[in-house]
Amino acid sequence: VRVTFPHMGNLWIIAKTLLEDMGLEVIVPPLPNRRSLDVGVRHAPEFACFPLKLNIGDLVGALDQGAEVIVMAGGIGPCRFGHYAQVEAQVLHDLGYQAEMVTLEPPRGHLGGLLDKIRRLSGGKPLTRVWRSIRLGWEKLVALDDFDRALARARPVERLTGSAARAHRAAAARLADADGVRATRRVGGEGVREILRAAGLDESDRPGEPSRGRPVPRLRVGLVGELFMVAEPFANQEVERRLGEMGVEVLRPLYLSDWVRTHLIPRVFQPERRRRTSEVKRAAQPYLGHFVGGEGLDSVGEAILFDRQGCDGVIHVAPFTCMPEIVAASLLPEAGRDLGLPVLSLFMDEHTAEAGLSTRLEAFVDLLGRRRAVGAREKW
Amino acid sequence: MAIARPVRLKDGAVVGLPRALLYYELYPFWRGLLEALGLRVAVSPATSRQVIEAGTSQAMDEACLPVKSFYGHVLVLRDRVDAVFLPRLVSLSPGTYTCPKMLGLPDMVRQNLRGLPPAIVADFDSRLRRRSLEEGGEDLACRLGRSRRHAREAVSKGLEALRNFRGGLEAGLSFEEAASGAEPGWKTPLKGWKMPVEGRREPVPAGDDLARARPDFRPLRVGLVGHAYNLFDPGVNLGLDRKLALLGCDLVTSEQLSEEEVRTESAARTKEIFWSSGRRILAAVTRFRRRGLVDGLIHVVSFGCGPDSMVGEIAERETRRSSNLPYMALTIDEHTAEAGLLTRVEAFVDMLARRRARPQTPEGAVAAEVTA
Repeated sequence: VRVTFPHMGNLWIIAKTLLEDMGLEVIVPPLPNRRSLDVGVRHAPEFACFPLKLNIGDLVGALDQGAEVIVMAGGIGPCRFGHYAQVEAQVLHDLGYQAEMVTLEPPRGHLGGLLDKIRRLSGGKPLTRVWRSIRLGWEKLVALDDFDRALARARPVERLTGSAARAHRAAAARLADADGVRATRRVGGEGVREILRAAGLDESDRPGEPSRGRPVPRLRVGLVGELFMVAEPFANQEVERRLGEMGVEVLRPLYLSDWVRTHLIPRVFQPERRRRTSEVKRAAQPYLGHFVGGEGLDSVGEAILFDRQGCDGVIHVAPFTCMPEIVAASLLPEAGRDLGLPVLSLFMDEHTAEAGLSTRLEAFVDLLGRRRAVGAREKW
Repeated sequence: MAIARPVRLKDGAVVGLPRALLYYELYPFWRGLLEALGLRVAVSPATSRQVIEAGTSQAMDEACLPVKSFYGHVLVLRDRVDAVFLPRLVSLSPGTYTCPKMLGLPDMVRQNLRGLPPAIVADFDSRLRRRSLEEGGEDLACRLGRSRRHAREAVSKGLEALRNFRGGLEAGLSFEEAASGAEPGWKTPLKGWKMPVEGRREPVPAGDDLARARPDFRPLRVGLVGHAYNLFDPGVNLGLDRKLALLGCDLVTSEQLSEEEVRTESAARTKEIFWSSGRRILAAVTRFRRRGLVDGLIHVVSFGCGPDSMVGEIAERETRRSSNLPYMALTIDEHTAEAGLLTRVEAFVDMLARRRARPQTPEGAVAAEVTA
């Protein structure tokens, strides 16, 4: 069977590797673009949140290329994402597509049941084989996230705009072809070095530490918000690139591999992750005392942790009408006021215009720069 | 930051209850509970333009109208009560949530509004247990310094009132009737739900005297589905129920379904909706449709409501696919104008009347999506 899935940032790499390794034919939808967005907006519910509209656009694209089965994640709420699969199935059905929707419901958020479904999909391949596919997909995802992190460091200090991004593209292409865990790791390490070198950086430089005559970014901001909007550059209109090209280093607490670690792997196996989660929760506590679904609590906690790290400001991105992030956005200004931390909340959807966005970002960066100049924020 | 800190309140202290959001589902429980604990309960006055404006000025733009209205009601109570009641309603039945904004509401209100009196915050969470109102209520009472036994008595008072109230709603009473019937002596200042015949339009198209003469004649019946706080708050829905009644329609609401009915309908789905309101709305739409109980369905939605954007889509598509029942999604926010709303409702009712006058056509449903 020909299988497809909607896009979310780099996720397609792991999904493609995994499903192909299990002997399925995979149709990766075209990367989100203006056309697929238009299709999504036309057919998705008007007041659905932005990721759902992009999902529909992706899926229609893949189904038109002959996909027969859709693999989609589920959820137990209270964030809307948990019902995406059902609504998408209905919309596609009403459009006349016959595709089958396979929903991977998090069985109380653990890996066991997920494996089970994946195995059924692959026609009962032995678990060791499935495990190998997962390992390979995982290594690729981690490597890609490392590339993105390196890019975020390199971009603000590159001499020639776009040189780090070019190195990133080349590395990502090599990674896609890498076969086997060991090759993936090697390509991963090389890629990170190349991206950093494109901006005159060295792997031994610690992020955020001024060192030995290396170029230092003008400002640093933390990027928090809803997972999809943070991870999918098309959805956030490349907010990371825009900031990077203004000389701002963007720190992201949330990469897809981190999300997978937090949500799919039992926490007992990763004390570090658990410590991080409770640290975020503790930081948010004075403002938000309860989980609110999605990444709402994380947005508040991570913003406060960025303040402690000495960031100049925080940018908060979320889809329009996102419920958990509305809670976060109500609280972030209060936290920002108490801490003296500028926060910019951006609620985005298909109506967000490029000029409006870049104006707001430029104004925000100017504000941060002026604060730095008058010493409201110390240099790190 | 006062997170669930014990609050000391003297007997007879006045606790303010904002007339918004889940007030419309749980008011009898809150009042029964708090009064049994020796406190006096002051409910904020009916939602008015000023209340909504006050709330809108303090809440985030992106928040929905009911949340903004909640802010407004808290502001009205701010200087008039000894404490304000801000329960955190995480979940009201196993396997469900209310809505993310309700999970964060006590924090949002306390952070965004200045100069509030002490807040009574209590968590009610029955995702994994069945007894959230009991446990949350007892916890609350104990934090107010009451004994376990006193707490348990107060909770059972509250639950009894809630049962009476739900019974009233299920029997088709209005919110006010059901609430005042929950406990003898309780009066709510709002006007009634059943509209007087006076001023009521003829329930059939003018001139169709034959229809009225038929023995099996009945007025048009409209199924009104949505969150209780949208159906029952005339300040939020601009008197929608009244408008429909004046147009000669009988109403059935999603609040008339019993818990049992909602559970049965919900369990029949391949994946149950994880919002309690969504389960009820979908159950009501399915029941009303399947039993031929109504001539048309109106789903009252707040602009930007997350759960309803999904649930409403499922309800509308299922309705369109399996019947030709007219379905209208009526979206409401603080900018909704009464004239616009009335026009849409009138058009919808006219359409229902015309459909009935005509023999049924076999083609697909007439679905209208309307932003009021």
